[in-house]
Amino acid sequence: MRIEIGDYGARARQVIREDPQVREAVTGATLAFDAKRRRSYDEIDSDAWRRWAEAVKSHALTHLDRYLAEAEARLIENGAVVHWAADAGEARQIVMELAAENGVRRVVKGKSMVTEEIDLNPALEGAGIEIFETDLGEYILQLLDEPPSHILGPAIHRTLEQVRELFAERLETPPDGNPDTLARAARKVLRDAFLSAEMGITGGNFLVAETGTVALIENEGNIRLTTSLPRIHVAIVGIEKLLPRMSDLAGFLQLTSRAATGQPIGCFVSLIQGPAARPGDDGPKEVHVVLVDNGRTDVLAHEHAWEALRCVRCGACLNVCPVYRQTGGHAYGWVYSGPIGSVLDPGLLGLREAMPLPFASSLCGACFDACPVRIPIPELLLEWRREAQEEGLTPWRERAALTTLAQMATRPGLYRLAGRIGSRLGGSALGRALPMLGDWARERALPKPSERSFRELWREGIE
Amino acid sequence: MIGRSGGARDRILRRVGAATAARERRPHPGALAGDGPDDVVAAFADRFRRSGGEVVAAGMGWRGGELLRWLRDQVPEVTAVATAPDLPGELRPDLPEVAAREAGAGVSVGWGGVAETGSLILPSTGGRAVQLLPPLHIVWISADRIFARLEHALLSLAADLPAAAGLHSGPSKSADIGRTVVTGVHGPGRCVAFVRGALRSPAATE
Amino acid sequence: MKVTLFVTCLADHYFAQAAADSVRLLRRLGCEVHFPEAQSCCGQPAWNAGRNREARRMAEHTARVLADAEAVVVPSGSCAAMLKKSYPKLAVAGDGSLAELAAHTWELGEFIVHRLGVTELGNGLAGRRVAIHQGCHALRELRLETEPELLLRGAGAEIVPWEAQDECCGFGGLFAVKMGAVSAAMADRKLDTLPAVDWVVSGDGGCILQLDGRARMRRARIPFVHLATALWEGVSSLAASPEREN
Ligand code: SF4
Repeated sequence: MRIEIGDYGARARQVIREDPQVREAVTGATLAFDAKRRRSYDEIDSDAWRRWAEAVKSHALTHLDRYLAEAEARLIENGAVVHWAADAGEARQIVMELAAENGVRRVVKGKSMVTEEIDLNPALEGAGIEIFETDLGEYILQLLDEPPSHILGPAIHRTLEQVRELFAERLETPPDGNPDTLARAARKVLRDAFLSAEMGITGGNFLVAETGTVALIENEGNIRLTTSLPRIHVAIVGIEKLLPRMSDLAGFLQLTSRAATGQPIGCFVSLIQGPAARPGDDGPKEVHVVLVDNGRTDVLAHEHAWEALRCVRCGACLNVCPVYRQTGGHAYGWVYSGPIGSVLDPGLLGLREAMPLPFASSLCGACFDACPVRIPIPELLLEWRREAQEEGLTPWRERAALTTLAQMATRPGLYRLAGRIGSRLGGSALGRALPMLGDWARERALPKPSERSFRELWREGIE
Repeated sequence: MIGRSGGARDRILRRVGAATAARERRPHPGALAGDGPDDVVAAFADRFRRSGGEVVAAGMGWRGGELLRWLRDQVPEVTAVATAPDLPGELRPDLPEVAAREAGAGVSVGWGGVAETGSLILPSTGGRAVQLLPPLHIVWISADRIFARLEHALLSLAADLPAAAGLHSGPSKSADIGRTVVTGVHGPGRCVAFVRGALRSPAATE
Repeated sequence: MKVTLFVTCLADHYFAQAAADSVRLLRRLGCEVHFPEAQSCCGQPAWNAGRNREARRMAEHTARVLADAEAVVVPSGSCAAMLKKSYPKLAVAGDGSLAELAAHTWELGEFIVHRLGVTELGNGLAGRRVAIHQGCHALRELRLETEPELLLRGAGAEIVPWEAQDECCGFGGLFAVKMGAVSAAMADRKLDTLPAVDWVVSGDGGCILQLDGRARMRRARIPFVHLATALWEGVSSLAASPEREN
């Protein structure tokens, strides 16, 4: 996916002003997701679960070399093939070669953020391979030629009317088709694809070191089909997805589902150890696991940002985020959006590339309370802001304003004087000319200063 | 077959090693505490139903004949079924056998169930197409194979892992179009657990 | 009890009456209120922008000015959170003054409920229908979830549930000017869901500035009232409108 983060402010404004349906659809969907998540957290001792999950992931990340080696050994024992890719290019190359060697002409895919991250689809299409995104939301986006706007509900920014129109044109469904009719039409196309594709490609929610298990959670059954019917299954997995043991997986399957959709567990979970070997098993003859770095070791080495690698991509922080709700994911300009995108993108891409995302937050803190692995997102945002300041990546005018504030605030006489002048300026034409006030006034009426400051009232005596 | 890495494996592991060496190692917190439900059969039935699954409380003595009666009664339009390769003959309904992609119903045996999540555990040796392609999926499961907690079930499964296993916790669903829930998107739109031995547990009966 | 008011720069200039009402309220509840005049800004704008050096200078200044205080009371959840939660993180090694200040700083409502142990404030607000805007820092940094409601109820007000009561208003200091359109849309979500009430009460001036500014731009007049003013209104049972000025 092209990186267009730099335009965040302009894109956000554009979505809000010119495509108000997006704000409405995204707000509605995320409020519903979030309400389910809250109810589901209330059913368990969510505090204890979240602390446990945080500790397991932190343990796994601080022993990651050991667990990666262990997972690799188990997978090989199970008959799977393990590949390693340092960056997006290498990951694409591995999949392309596998496809070429096996004469693959059709690929079915399960929803996977990492395949967006490595730009897999355009590469495969360039080689003349037909790709079917099989998650219903992803399928809609594939027809629209749009990237996902939410980790979990990739098409939540699209309304029923828009899907109706799209399907009427592309799948010849009736113009007033209900969701059931529309889903059936997609199912028909995709069922044929499942039965004829030579390769299935998925991501992986977790990789269990102890058993070499790639675990995937979903609701539609398309991932079960993708990993079961084609002759070859390729799972593309970020190296941070490791869990030490099967018993850990049991907790993570549940907590991730609760955080994501409020379910005790997703309707379908696939646990994949390797290719079909025993009698009766009609599954794939080859299973490939591609372990992808693509910036993750940089994040792991970062003093603070490594905590973001605990992320299980549940989307809970997006759903609860009042900033994300106004625009959906596209404004953020890359694969990962919302609160997690704003702390992960600077780590994966480099801070310069990810500006101004660390500033795209009011620091309200709602994301931390929702996050199942307790990633301190507000603190990480502040860390990135500090780095941005140190590297001079913020506008000069802001830096100057804050330096002036500090100078005045530490000199009581100057502060009192500036306060008197400043608040008088507030409503005047001159005040409007001050740059910061100008930005404020584009969206809001200017504040009305008190007639007399508290300081003055105090001196006169408060009755 | 040897995986591709072109030196990437060692580079990545070296970088990971350097990053972890520079940081204080965090301990594993141990198992997540919790008891799981007491009446596992009732809890399983409740959870499974709440996710849209159906539960038929079957006696230990139920066989294919009872299943056939249920099929005739509930889905008379189903005239042929696909059955799992490991389904004991006595649990087969007496209907013509067809390929999974053409069958009105798939019949399999569950390796086990999980009460706390309302899940059926289906190993790949039971044939994945049968579990996934027909619009109706019927799973025989015996009540004494239902675990209270997912952790216990997975630990037991790990003792002899199949190439793959699926956890099915209700029918296939999606809310991707206009936030309306539709069922049977890709996988089965109906999933019915025939719990043998559940008739003794009154809470599980319908 | 001796308390020292940290008025905050915003209240000093934009919510002077709310700050004065804080003084009146605290006195009525038996406190002796002090106001060291050398105090200024807590440094949060710099802290949130990632400019720790400037933030530290302001924090150290504040700690010097408030050095003798027994209890510091702040009529703003956001600034109180800055003093209580962020100051300790700014301290240079060996300097315990910031952590010490943090330990005896209170947000106004928190101080009344937990330090003074008061939640009964008479019935002066009887018949008043009130919606509460929970400031993010009071709610999620200081975990003051129920205090404003306890106090307002304790003063006789009827609390009207507000679907978006816990959601951010979109202020966030510099965020409001840097990401103006998003910030305004966030305020719109709050305003669009607001039930019909006599007052919208918040313990944070910044949030009121944002919401009121947006409301006025949309040509809506919404009676925003600072928590201190609302409570003083109840306690003193004045008939006059509390909207003396914002
Ligand atoms: S940061 Fe936390 S809440 Fe957000 S997607 Fe990742 S795990 Fe979920």
